[in-house]
Amino acid sequence: MASEWRPDGTEGQGPSRPYDTRSAARWIVSHLRRYPLLTTGAAVLHSSAWWAYGLAPIMVGRVAAQVIEPAAGAPWAGLLAACLWLLVVLAGDACLSMAANACTLTLAHRIERDARDELYRNLLGKSQTYHDRQRIGDLVARATDDSRMLSMMIHPGILFISDMVMGFITPIVYILLLDAELMLVPVLYAVSFAITLRAFVRRLGPVLFEQRRAQGEMTAALEEAISGIEVVKVSVREAFERGRFGRTVGAFKELFVRSNRIEGFYVPMLIYGALAGAALLHGVLALQRGVIGLAGLIAFVGLMHALRIPTFISAFSFSMLQGGIAGAKRILGVLRQTSDIDWNAGGVSAPIAGGISFHGVDFGYEGAGAVLAGVDLDIAAGETVAVVGQTGSGKSSLTRLVNRTYDPTHGSVRVDGVDLRAWNLESLRSQIASVEQDVFLFSRSIADNIAFAHPGASRADIEAAAQAAAADEFITSFVDGYDTVIGERGVTLSGGQRQRLALARAFLKDPRILILDDSTSAIDSATEDEIQRALTRIQRGRTTLIVTHRLSQIRWADRILVLDGGRLVANGTHGELLAGSPHYRRIFSRYDLDLPPLVERAAPASPNGIPESR
Amino acid sequence: MGFLMDGIGAEPYDRSYSDRELVRRILARFRPERRRILLVCGSILAGAVAGTLLPIMVSRAIDGVGVELAGGTPVAVRWVLGTAAAIIGLNTLSWLFNAHRRASGSRAIGGVVERLRNDAFAALMGHDLSFYDANPTGKVVSRVASDSQAFSEVVSLTMELVSQAVLVVLVFTYLFTVDALLTGVTLLLVPLIVGVALGFRHVARRTVTQSRRALGDLTAHVHETMSGIAVAKSFRKEQLIYDRFTGVNAATYRLNWRAGLVFSGIFPLLFAIAGVASSVLAYLGGVRVAESGLSIGEWYLFLQGVGLLWFPLTSIASFWSQFQLGLAAGERVFALLDADPTVRQTGSEPVASLSGRIELCDVDFAYQEGEPVFERFSLAIAAGETVALVGHTGSGKSSITRLIARFYEFQAGSILVDGRDIRGLDLASLRSHLGFVTQVPFLFNGTVADNIRYGRPDAGEDEVERAAGRIGGGDWVNALHDGLATAVSERGRSLSMGQRQLVVLARVLLKDPSVIILDEATASVDPLTEALIQEGLDEVLRDRTAVVVAHRLSTVRHADRIVVLRAGRIIEEGDHESLSAAGGHYAELYDTYFRHQSLDYIERRPVPA
Repeated sequence: MASEWRPDGTEGQGPSRPYDTRSAARWIVSHLRRYPLLTTGAAVLHSSAWWAYGLAPIMVGRVAAQVIEPAAGAPWAGLLAACLWLLVVLAGDACLSMAANACTLTLAHRIERDARDELYRNLLGKSQTYHDRQRIGDLVARATDDSRMLSMMIHPGILFISDMVMGFITPIVYILLLDAELMLVPVLYAVSFAITLRAFVRRLGPVLFEQRRAQGEMTAALEEAISGIEVVKVSVREAFERGRFGRTVGAFKELFVRSNRIEGFYVPMLIYGALAGAALLHGVLALQRGVIGLAGLIAFVGLMHALRIPTFISAFSFSMLQGGIAGAKRILGVLRQTSDIDWNAGGVSAPIAGGISFHGVDFGYEGAGAVLAGVDLDIAAGETVAVVGQTGSGKSSLTRLVNRTYDPTHGSVRVDGVDLRAWNLESLRSQIASVEQDVFLFSRSIADNIAFAHPGASRADIEAAAQAAAADEFITSFVDGYDTVIGERGVTLSGGQRQRLALARAFLKDPRILILDDSTSAIDSATEDEIQRALTRIQRGRTTLIVTHRLSQIRWADRILVLDGGRLVANGTHGELLAGSPHYRRIFSRYDLDLPPLVERAAPASPNGIPESR
Repeated sequence: MGFLMDGIGAEPYDRSYSDRELVRRILARFRPERRRILLVCGSILAGAVAGTLLPIMVSRAIDGVGVELAGGTPVAVRWVLGTAAAIIGLNTLSWLFNAHRRASGSRAIGGVVERLRNDAFAALMGHDLSFYDANPTGKVVSRVASDSQAFSEVVSLTMELVSQAVLVVLVFTYLFTVDALLTGVTLLLVPLIVGVALGFRHVARRTVTQSRRALGDLTAHVHETMSGIAVAKSFRKEQLIYDRFTGVNAATYRLNWRAGLVFSGIFPLLFAIAGVASSVLAYLGGVRVAESGLSIGEWYLFLQGVGLLWFPLTSIASFWSQFQLGLAAGERVFALLDADPTVRQTGSEPVASLSGRIELCDVDFAYQEGEPVFERFSLAIAAGETVALVGHTGSGKSSITRLIARFYEFQAGSILVDGRDIRGLDLASLRSHLGFVTQVPFLFNGTVADNIRYGRPDAGEDEVERAAGRIGGGDWVNALHDGLATAVSERGRSLSMGQRQLVVLARVLLKDPSVIILDEATASVDPLTEALIQEGLDEVLRDRTAVVVAHRLSTVRHADRIVVLRAGRIIEEGDHESLSAAGGHYAELYDTYFRHQSLDYIERRPVPA
């Protein structure tokens, strides 16, 4: 498919017209309208199949008439002709259903494909801000399960619904053609069916919902106890866990029994059974009065029998429809979210020197409390600044304000004295690189991953970047070297190796401002040496903001910011903070006491007396 | 319920129990519910009889009026009413039998499954850790959650099959007494439908596999690109990614469409076969009416017979594979129940209190036969001593801690706790004096307070607070948005790695065990939290016997004794200073793992080479 992706595409782009996203139903209809031929074909073929199916009992009646009173002369000829007609009708029904199925099936899968395409285009067009907020599992579910539900809704869902409707209409119309008065019982049935089915769905729905929930709870309890088995055992809580799991099992069982009971006592079927008897009575009485003949009675009995099918199908057809609508709603939820990206193409577009300043910055994520409050700071071009704080103190949020992943709720963030909102975003971001904690690598070759930003980069450039990032050595140790293809999510590489690839990427980009969110665990000292050297190298000549667990990087930063609960509580050099910040002292107090006399555990100098510097 | 489409996507399975053995055990599981099962069987049979009688009644009614039309005796109104009433009655009865079957059957099956799940879970809680090494969590969960349900299907499937078979036999027996020749012709349909159904399942299996694989590719693609969207966007590579997506999406469409075509074609095909059969029977029956006195009602009954046969036959076609699936599921659950415990106790003496002396004497230990971890390994730890274990991966550090916690069985030698053989002690009682901290901190769903209390459920609110407060002055609790009441979801993923470690340390402090076994976490955490954790560790290790698999320099330096392990042997012992000075294996380990944690390292400005 040679269609082009458009970066500004927040609307789905159908070939002829955009899809209607105002409501789930409209959206589905607008998708259907792309295939008018298939849609009409499906409708015509499917209803024709039903008219043929309803005709079968009539034909059986005709055959019966031939059996009862064979035509004079050639007795078998009439019977044979009638039987052949029956065959034509039945075979016609089968062929028509097959064709109708093929139409709805094609329609269903095409719409699944189109919806997925629409969703995917839309996702690509959404801002990074949007993606930062999403759970990947959710997006994957939208693109796979939900679009699949959409297809299930059309085939077989809508087919079943249509079976239900046609399954009532065609027999009743044929009965009308036999004799109008015979419609009494089937119409009575249709009405009571509609009423009792509604009650049934209303009763069953909540129970099934609860049952799924109970099942989830049961599995969760199970998984938890197994994953934590060591803790359970050493805490001697086996009996407690058994009781907890037993309760979830019991709850699930009760709901299982309840849903089965409701499904077992399916009232429409009972009414059908009773009315089938009444219909026979009515038919026989009509026959005695000469309204219909025996052939008519047989046709009538057969047509009443046909009403069984919609009675059966109805029990599960609605859930499919509901599933499809729910899936469509969830996909629409994604499509409708307006992209909050503002590329600001007319904004400032200039080479960055690297000065960063925060002026009275408040920040909070939607629906959550404040993450940063009243932050003021000034970072000179070329400075290396480390950010220190506990989890949740706002370190990562602070760095994300710098490349305008988010905008502050109050105050302003400026680069080279210009408010970020006034910058051309493309120009701004092309000069800022972030190396995130969770380094993402595509399942392609190492060289491709390093050169992701510059597909034209020469092998020499790539290797130079890898060398600068201390990655060259381990890359060349692979059999395929730079052509080694990385497994999904980079699983075949260790954390330290992935991080160095990300650094190589950043070296190649050569940004003016570098944001490092760096944490690698459990590495040996030799690797640590290498990474430290690469980090120091990459900071040279650029403004660098680092959030790191590496004490040495913190200790040797030009300046250190200490965050606590979203507030900037300290800001200065290592020496200044050791003297002035109790938070910062705490990190190093242990080391200071560690010096030569190590066994003594003297009471640590109380840090509380030292005033916080600002 | 057995059905044409069921069990097509089954994975291959292998089995080690015999069918007979499995069936015997499955039946034994159903014994507590046998009264209910018998009643359900009764309902099934009665339902089948009613299902047979219904078309016969209709054919009789047609015959009755047929005779009248042919100039015979007119049918009495009473007879007509009676027939109608009988049909209503039969339909109602058949509905009631079916409802009873569903309600009572689900209660029986639900009960069996519930007991099986509880038994399986109890068995799980009893298994030692070697079982969990051999069986990954996902597999065990699906055994208890899905297999236990699937196994019960064997029984409902069989009941369903029996009822269908009874119905078919009853109908045919009756038809046979009516007209043997026509019955014979109708029976020709059986191999035809079953054959087509089996053939369909064969083709369907292939297309389903392909379409499932396509869906897997699609999921992988979306997952990968959405995970890496930040990279793609910051480098403006959307078009590249979109092009790849359209390829995968188109392939998925093609394969799904093909699979769907197979599935949607089968029913019309079977209908067509039934249609041909009906037409042939209508003709032959008509001839028989004229030639051998078959009545018109009986003629109609034969036509109905085709419809009655159709559904049972398609179900029977899928029975065998479904039945095998159920047996395989049953086998997996039974294997879980039957797994022999490897940790065997010879006695169950209670442990009132523990001073904490631990001795391993000439212990032989292997996780797997032929791959020994320890051979004649001995180590004595004095009460109140802190011992740090260091060594490369696979040197046996963690194995020591697991043997002391009695998670695994050792093959020779003895382990003494306070001088008493560990095999003679009551395990629950022993473990109540042990604190065990796993390398990856494990939290349960609930609140932070619940998690701290996990080892001592009777502890009061104030005790929990005090335990939390003893770590880093309780500062870390203030950083949690709801303090101790903060909800822990997804096994602690709502907390940072460092916070999880702090919770686990508080848990141990509250339990206040005499012996602490600790596998230090290797995950790096922010420097502030790290400082808190180290303060917490000091608190936890104080005044107890402690065995620590050490990853932190500060732990090693504070230990009373460092035990250096290599390949299951103790090669050096002593404190940090003496071992460093000796320049042996410890010095090498220090240079590999601990050097970059030292103040020296931090104080030396890193210089790019």
